[in-house]
Amino acid sequence: MVERTKAGELPAFIRVLFPTVAALPFGLLLTRSVRVLAARQPRLFERLAEHRSACFFVDPTDLAFAFTVVPDGERSLVRIVGKAETSTASVVIRGPLLMLLGLLDGTLDGDALFFHRVISVSGRTEAVVALRNAIEDAELRPADLLGLHGAVARFADAGILGGLSAARRLAASSDGDQAARMQ
Amino acid sequence: MTVGQMELVCPAGAPATLRAAITARADAVYCGFQGETNARNFPGLNFSPAELADGVRFARDHGKKVLVAINTFAPAGRVDQWRKAADEAAACGADAIIAADLAVLDHVANNHKGLRLHLSVQAAAATPEAIGFYAEAFGVRRVVLPRVLSIQEIATLNRSINVETEAFVFGELCVMIEGRCFLSSYAAEKSPNLNGVCSPPEAVSYDQEAGSTAARLSGFTIDRYAPDQPTGYPTLCKGRFSAGGTTSYPVSLNAGGLIAGLKAAGVTALKIEGRQRGKGYVTEGVRTFRKAVDAIEAGGDAPEIDRILARMSEGGRRTTGAYKKTWR
Repeated sequence: MVERTKAGELPAFIRVLFPTVAALPFGLLLTRSVRVLAARQPRLFERLAEHRSACFFVDPTDLAFAFTVVPDGERSLVRIVGKAETSTASVVIRGPLLMLLGLLDGTLDGDALFFHRVISVSGRTEAVVALRNAIEDAELRPADLLGLHGAVARFADAGILGGLSAARRLAASSDGDQAARMQ
Repeated sequence: MTVGQMELVCPAGAPATLRAAITARADAVYCGFQGETNARNFPGLNFSPAELADGVRFARDHGKKVLVAINTFAPAGRVDQWRKAADEAAACGADAIIAADLAVLDHVANNHKGLRLHLSVQAAAATPEAIGFYAEAFGVRRVVLPRVLSIQEIATLNRSINVETEAFVFGELCVMIEGRCFLSSYAAEKSPNLNGVCSPPEAVSYDQEAGSTAARLSGFTIDRYAPDQPTGYPTLCKGRFSAGGTTSYPVSLNAGGLIAGLKAAGVTALKIEGRQRGKGYVTEGVRTFRKAVDAIEAGGDAPEIDRILARMSEGGRRTTGAYKKTWR
């Protein structure tokens, strides 16, 4: 049986390459990255104002796990959690991984994705709006999240953004193939 | 009023969006300060004075303009906050202030004489008499037209006034008279006219229910969407309502096919709505309209804007609004 993917989601053969929840200490790594980012770009977190203490549950629908993020500047906290652990979340954001990453670097328009149901949002709308506006203005690059500088940062940005672009093309192509098979 | 090359005026909710709009070849951007002095007072949005000063420098380096919206109405006893915003915009080197409040207009006219004044759509000035008053009393140089006029009415109006006109061509479509709408105040206790926010996000919820998503404002259901149906932000005048056997749907303005008509009607500037929208929207909107305006200015045809920008429209439905109105 062929596993079906929704529009924009990673093809199944790529999804199996991602680790499951317990495989890597992603939470610790991401927490460190966000705190380094807060030290380098405090303005991003200032735009969040009182919403920096909100808990954002981010669920990449094509991965086996989700994240919770409390973007409280240098006290930020990122945890890897199960798909159903939304009880403490102020906001729940769901969507394909590539789409969520596209929001981070500003490649994609969050409103357009939301209006067309590619991503879904529930919970405290004002916190979502604040987060979205803060991220939009931050113009984040992959190197910012990885805490990289200089030539290494440029190399990482080029490689990761190129990889993401290729993955989006692959996902789009996979959607097209699937649509053709369903006809 | 005779016009030359039409100006493309684009939204900037934050510094990154300002840079995106100018990079995409907007002629001017409009933006506002954080707080209640502008009509897009949303969390995380807008500029500090330092950010505005940087934005003005960036725009000037590219030969572009920055227009600052201080376009809400100051509540009694708090006019100083609005005057201060105008002073800060002037100090930052803004090319114009967009205002509607008489106290703000008066303050700018008397204290920043070299600074252009544009009359905000919030003033809802749509007659030669109203526009003439603002021009005579405060030296207003441009009026942003309320979205209630047909192209023919704009042409007639332009023959009767001596100030420039700016017309919305894309984005959200307020069907109420701007500056005089109390729906959001009634439902959510915040006013677009005074607080700068229509349908404040803290009053908005998207509730997952059996087989649908309900969009609500302060508990009022504004719309309901099937799982794959395009959704929208629940403002009260853009819900899905049934009356007299007819159902109305939320729509967005797209007058991309009417640029030549607006030029012929004497419009000086075309405005894209959406300071609350992101860089993707601004970049794609500006690029598309830039091509269209350039094509029309060169005597050619505009590209198919409706098709290109379909995905950017809130609610997924477009209209040419009052520009082609048939109901009166």
